[in-house]
Amino acid sequence: MDMRKERPGSTQLTRSLIADYVLKPGVPDEMIDSAGNIRPGWSTLMSAFDALGPTELAARFERADQYLRDAGVFYRKYDGAEGKERAWPLAHIPLLIDEAEWALISHGLVQRAELLETVVADIYGDNTLVQRGLLPPELVARNSEFLRPMVGIKPTSGHYLHFCAFELGRGPNGAWWVLGDRTQAPSGAGFALENRVATTRALSDIYGTMNIHRLAGFFRGFRDTLFAQARKDGGRVGILTPGQHNETYFEHAYIARYLGFMLLEGEDLIVEDGQVMVRTVAGLKPVSVLWRRMDASFVDPLELRYDSRIGTPGMVDALRHGSISMINALGTGILETRALAAFMPRLAQSLLGKPLDLPEIATWWCGQGSEREHVIKNFDNLMIGPAFATNLPFDDQRGTALGSTISSEQKAALLERIANGGADYVGQEPVQLSTAPVYVDGRLQPRPITLRVFAARTDKGWTIMPGGFARIGSTSDTAAIAMQRGGQAADVWVVSSKPVERVSLLPRDGEKLVRNSPGSLPSRAADNLIWLGRYAERCEATVRILRAYNARLAELSKSDLPILQHTRDYLETIDVDAETALPEGLLAAIDSAVHSASQIRDRFSPDGWLALNDLQKSARRFATRVQPGDDATRAMTVILRKLAGFSGLVHENMYRFAGWRFLELGRRLERGIQIARITAWLTDKDAPDGSLEMLLEIGDSVMSHRRRYSVSAGTQSSVDLLVLDPLNPRSVIFQLAELRQQIEVLPGGIDDGQLSPAAKAALQLHTDLMIAEPKDMTPERLETLAADIGMLAALVAAAYFV
Amino acid sequence: MLYDIRLHLHYDYDSPAQGGRHLIRVAPISILNVQRVIAAAVTCDPKPDRETNFHDFFGNSVTTISYNNAHDHFDVRLAARVMVEDIHAPADLSPTLDGLKADIARLWSVQPESPHHFLAASQRVRPDGEITAYARKSIHGSHSVLSMAMALCLAINRDFDYDPKATDVQTSPNEAFALKKGVCQDFAHIMIAGLRGLGIPAGYVSGFLRTNPPPGKPRLEGADAMHAWVRVWCGQHAGWIEFDPTNAMIAGADHISIGHGRDYADISPIVGVLKTSGKHETSQSVDVLRVE
Repeated sequence: MDMRKERPGSTQLTRSLIADYVLKPGVPDEMIDSAGNIRPGWSTLMSAFDALGPTELAARFERADQYLRDAGVFYRKYDGAEGKERAWPLAHIPLLIDEAEWALISHGLVQRAELLETVVADIYGDNTLVQRGLLPPELVARNSEFLRPMVGIKPTSGHYLHFCAFELGRGPNGAWWVLGDRTQAPSGAGFALENRVATTRALSDIYGTMNIHRLAGFFRGFRDTLFAQARKDGGRVGILTPGQHNETYFEHAYIARYLGFMLLEGEDLIVEDGQVMVRTVAGLKPVSVLWRRMDASFVDPLELRYDSRIGTPGMVDALRHGSISMINALGTGILETRALAAFMPRLAQSLLGKPLDLPEIATWWCGQGSEREHVIKNFDNLMIGPAFATNLPFDDQRGTALGSTISSEQKAALLERIANGGADYVGQEPVQLSTAPVYVDGRLQPRPITLRVFAARTDKGWTIMPGGFARIGSTSDTAAIAMQRGGQAADVWVVSSKPVERVSLLPRDGEKLVRNSPGSLPSRAADNLIWLGRYAERCEATVRILRAYNARLAELSKSDLPILQHTRDYLETIDVDAETALPEGLLAAIDSAVHSASQIRDRFSPDGWLALNDLQKSARRFATRVQPGDDATRAMTVILRKLAGFSGLVHENMYRFAGWRFLELGRRLERGIQIARITAWLTDKDAPDGSLEMLLEIGDSVMSHRRRYSVSAGTQSSVDLLVLDPLNPRSVIFQLAELRQQIEVLPGGIDDGQLSPAAKAALQLHTDLMIAEPKDMTPERLETLAADIGMLAALVAAAYFV
Repeated sequence: MLYDIRLHLHYDYDSPAQGGRHLIRVAPISILNVQRVIAAAVTCDPKPDRETNFHDFFGNSVTTISYNNAHDHFDVRLAARVMVEDIHAPADLSPTLDGLKADIARLWSVQPESPHHFLAASQRVRPDGEITAYARKSIHGSHSVLSMAMALCLAINRDFDYDPKATDVQTSPNEAFALKKGVCQDFAHIMIAGLRGLGIPAGYVSGFLRTNPPPGKPRLEGADAMHAWVRVWCGQHAGWIEFDPTNAMIAGADHISIGHGRDYADISPIVGVLKTSGKHETSQSVDVLRVE
């Protein structure tokens, strides 16, 4: 469709976007071919952009950014000791690649993946490549990615590699080169998906009319393969993540949610009788496939890195017994070794009988005589770096540099080390990249790009994701591609000449719908959910007390009144200092809620997460400027509203699975404890005047009290309403009724008519309150009740978080 | 010489451990022309819920055990009978440093015995400029690799004090080097770091020493506990030769080896992960008696 036809009569006063696009001489470009013509798919895209006009186009791109912000897409940027979360830097214009060219890339990468599999199988198997002189022994024996405990352990799936990524660049002659093989725990597939969603959100009409290959089929194929493997072995599929501090944790959670895999950390797993089990709220359940996003050496502190705190003891033993498939096998990171690139041509020739269709950048390993001479002679024109590095040369700002940019002092030292052996160094041809258009302040500029392409092994062999993501430099300098240095990421559209098949992950017609059983909730996630519920409720209770306190402070403007002193004393028992408008104790509770939530990002909606973050930001902002009294009262009202917003989003939108149940338990446990304690405090015989009014206000029960008792607040009526009234959603008995019900339906809550210890305790507490009279509920009895609810929390923890 | 070996490792937990998992490397292995294991048995108390055995990359015998339930103590016992060959000190067939370099370059192998594994940094022994400088000074005047290794072995014995209180099992080679004190493990690590710094492949041997010296000979240092020494690749013809820097000697008929690796981390007697909140007490006893 020609977009210009949609706007008949509109005079195009704005110049076409492409008119300002000035190529760099001698550098190939993805949009403009060597003859200066715009390539096929690109002309459609550019006409569509021109038809939208500059204002609309900018608005569309903003829509994509808005989507990413709303979805909470982030990566972690390391610029100090602690990594910070950064918004995902989307380059709005997709990179277009023609289907025919993509077919060549796909073919080359499948061939490459097969060669890599042969090489790694030999390294951990018979080791003939070293004996035959195809691979120097140093590259294996001196390599920290050569994991000796894995030698001789054959993967149960029959393969070492199942999911790889390749970083590609287009050289000056127009051909694609491999800049790096990613085999350890490749990241980016989830970000590619998010790029696609964000980009198509902005450009849906254009995307709809161009024939762009969909990504879902690739993920579907891989997911089905892993599920099939797991079904055969009778266990579950999990993604093994190093945890929320990892730079791509968001992606781990995203993929887990998208593909329906469990998101697991090392401590979620235990190896029992040679079998990997996940601790769930329904006990230990077998795991058969782990898609590993953790570097191999951290996976098992017993047999690999003994200082790993994120691993699972016994994992190597489980692999030795063939009870689990690791995606990819431990030790495959050795294929990322930079010096290995020097030997790939020889390996291809010897193992495939022909050169690779997609070769790597020329590399010379300085551990060999003639190669060493070459590097010394051409030092200034080569990238000099560590032979055993596994990162890409332009991502390695510290270790790798172009010879001519190295200071003469360092150069002399380096040359001496290289001449004296040099096994630790490689020289590589500097990367020359093609450019692609990036949108900067309403204009197009050519910037260097690399392409990350993903390969997955399915039961039909290797498949290549028809797309991926492109990294785009922040300046025209190649080194500026690294996202840590301000580079951006763009969606990759593979353009077909024919309509493409539409695929989704939803079951096809006639396909059996498989539901996950609710018992699969990992114990750690359940624990975090309980604490999230508890902290959120603790915040609410504290905020309500602080609001009532500050309102009175503003009204009476005398802080030494007994009721104010009495309230301050109570707040002190929960580590909250009422002298400050926004006490540190409250801020800490909010931080704890965010911390608990951050560990279970795969379990609740992005909206809930954003609401919680917003709450944290507001509270921090208030803390810097709000004064006690009236000001604080208003601030507390705002915080209360935001808390209610968070609770509403979570409770209204969360599926009533075991996960929701634990969140609910946390909320009910904490509310029961808080109400019992504040009621005890404010109904004490020594409590000053105004205590009961304060209690009803904190319990949000002023109106209910007026309606039910039509008298002024008395101790008995207040206790009745806040402790024993089953219809008041803030009463203790209401919390116990809910707790009792939820605990009974937890896994093992009632077994063959037998109540679990936690269910018995809940029943007992609930029944005691049902038969109690208001006069029985003395402050002492209420304190005991709060302690008993605390015990109930401990019983739940003992049953489900072993 | 025929030896009977008894080892007892004992752990006492302040509060019961809720399950645990251990790798045990205490059983000696047979090594052609060096020693022959006639019998070896590792037993654990309480009885583990699961026990398996395998040989690791370097050929060491490993017992894996796991406990699913609470226990307040843990005992490992080894009973073994080993025949050790009484080999005379080898004639020096080793090359110069340049010759060694050429020997290594000719060896296209990553089999477990290959010297290539023993040149680079390992978990516990990292390259250290000061130790390398010390090693270079110590070997001054030696020409063959074997004489260099012996020179460093004697230097460490001379310059360092045997002091079990100065270091512990976690002490790094450079810490012990700075202290000029330590035990067999520290001396072995320092010697390995020094040799690797010179380009000589070196590994770590864990084992036992004969407890009662022959008549008229002094009791060897470290005989009442597990011992450690160093193996050095002295070129294609001489092969691997073992040096004991703690006792300033080439390891011989008084040394019974359990196994070896690149450093302590590859052959530590016991590696474990416990679920416990408290501390624990440990004790170790060793008896190595000559049978005939």
